[in-house]
Amino acid sequence: MSQNAASTNDNDNLVNIRGVSFKYNTRTILDNLTLGIPRGKVTAIMGGSGCGKTSLLNLIGGRLRPSQGQVLVDGQNVPDLNIRELYQLRKRMGMLFQHGALLTDLSVFENVAFPIREHTRLPEAVLRNVVLMKLQTVGLRGARDLMPWELSGGMARRVALARAIVLEPMMIMYDEPFTGLDPISMGVIAKLIRELNQVLGITSIVVSHDVAETSLISDHAYLLGDGRILGQGTPAELQNSTSPYVRQFMDGLPDGPVPYTYPARNYLDDLLEKGA
Amino acid sequence: MKFLENIGAGVLQSVERLGRAAFFLSEVVGHGWVLVTRFWLVVQQLYSVGVFTLPIVLVSGLFVGMVLGLQLYNTLVKFGAAESLGLVLALSLLRELGPVVTALLFAGRAGSALTAEIGLMKATEQLAGMEMMAVNPMMRVIAPRFLAGVIAMPLLAALFSAIGIFGGQMIGVGLLGVDSGAFWSQMQNGVDFHEDIMNGVIKSVVFGVVVTWIAVFEGYDAVPNSEGVAHATNHTVVYSSLAVLGLDFIMTSLMLGEI
Repeated sequence: MSQNAASTNDNDNLVNIRGVSFKYNTRTILDNLTLGIPRGKVTAIMGGSGCGKTSLLNLIGGRLRPSQGQVLVDGQNVPDLNIRELYQLRKRMGMLFQHGALLTDLSVFENVAFPIREHTRLPEAVLRNVVLMKLQTVGLRGARDLMPWELSGGMARRVALARAIVLEPMMIMYDEPFTGLDPISMGVIAKLIRELNQVLGITSIVVSHDVAETSLISDHAYLLGDGRILGQGTPAELQNSTSPYVRQFMDGLPDGPVPYTYPARNYLDDLLEKGA
Repeated sequence: MKFLENIGAGVLQSVERLGRAAFFLSEVVGHGWVLVTRFWLVVQQLYSVGVFTLPIVLVSGLFVGMVLGLQLYNTLVKFGAAESLGLVLALSLLRELGPVVTALLFAGRAGSALTAEIGLMKATEQLAGMEMMAVNPMMRVIAPRFLAGVIAMPLLAALFSAIGIFGGQMIGVGLLGVDSGAFWSQMQNGVDFHEDIMNGVIKSVVFGVVVTWIAVFEGYDAVPNSEGVAHATNHTVVYSSLAVLGLDFIMTSLMLGEI
């Protein structure tokens, strides 16, 4: 398995995670994790549910603080930033939430216009054109007057994507972008992630457990488990890996290093216990 | 021993939550300048919190006034003091029932709606989405709603009292034959602006702050799932109602100089 160029040369990376540990209450989610997200590439973070993928995105976005380690985004250590500096940095980040997180009291147009209205004083005519251009990028210019509850899951995510790119960020974080989508919508979102990366050069971090779709669009992938990196490389390298964990994940096997059964006491003892 | 441990843990949890709520309030008040910088957001919320609560407040006020008219007349007439109906009715509404009943209705209608709205925004990651767009939810969502509640509550209480007096007048003067001149003149002579009206206004402002604070905090602090939002909404109505009744006793005692 090749060592990621990104993790060996920190300067090529937009995001560098160095020795980061994160605990939720007493449970360790990330344990001394080190990885790099290369500029202008699509990097996939894969792993089973609850392995810390979303926590990693929240650490990069400054919504969570690590118990130790550095989260460097474009050279700035996120946990050290004050709220004003953090908000300045976030203006240069986009994030696509699992279900879009569209503001339900605003129309599609106003949702996409929201960051512009909040952060700039663009004239209304310019703002309108910018919003329509972004909606055109995701193919939903005609849906501008719809309300969020009138959109399908895939459409909502495309609107959220238009909103995420409206301030032309340096990077976008995608949190489970394919979950709950039909194959066509999944293909559309995958195409958009790839195109935005190629056309606008936006660094992309895709957190997903959808192996097939994520492998198609990513340049590099990390496989997380037990708070650590259990595998990394190009999607093809991961597909050819002989590591039992990587194999179980890539092949979707029900049992393996990640056990099928939740830890429990002896089955027979449990059944024979009186009054249980 | 386990029982004592549970009590201790419960008390610690409550104190910790109260502290969090206090910090939350200070942060909300710290964003009070949104009243100027985001005036239209406050107006929008005023419409949502105030205008939508108006029908229930007006209808309740009318019926409470009518019932008071009947009950008070029935008692006063035994002492030959039926002409004092207007005065007693106005004092009951302005000092007590106006602020208290409006606050209880406000908690049930607007408070629960605020909690559910904010809780659902949290559950559907709208608040997190705002944070990631470098927009502070405290400024965009919480402070405008809090200010709207604080502004709306005294206005609603005033309207409750006004429509209540109208209802009492309808029954007392229109149905039971109390002299209209005596009804209004006794009210005019007996109601003091500072002692009666302002005390009622102070109460309604305090209730407005407390009920809206509880409502927005419960929503913001809700466990982000359907059960959590349901619990938070329930808490808003229960805690607000208890807080209003408890504070009413304390404020009344202070205002009457009894403690």
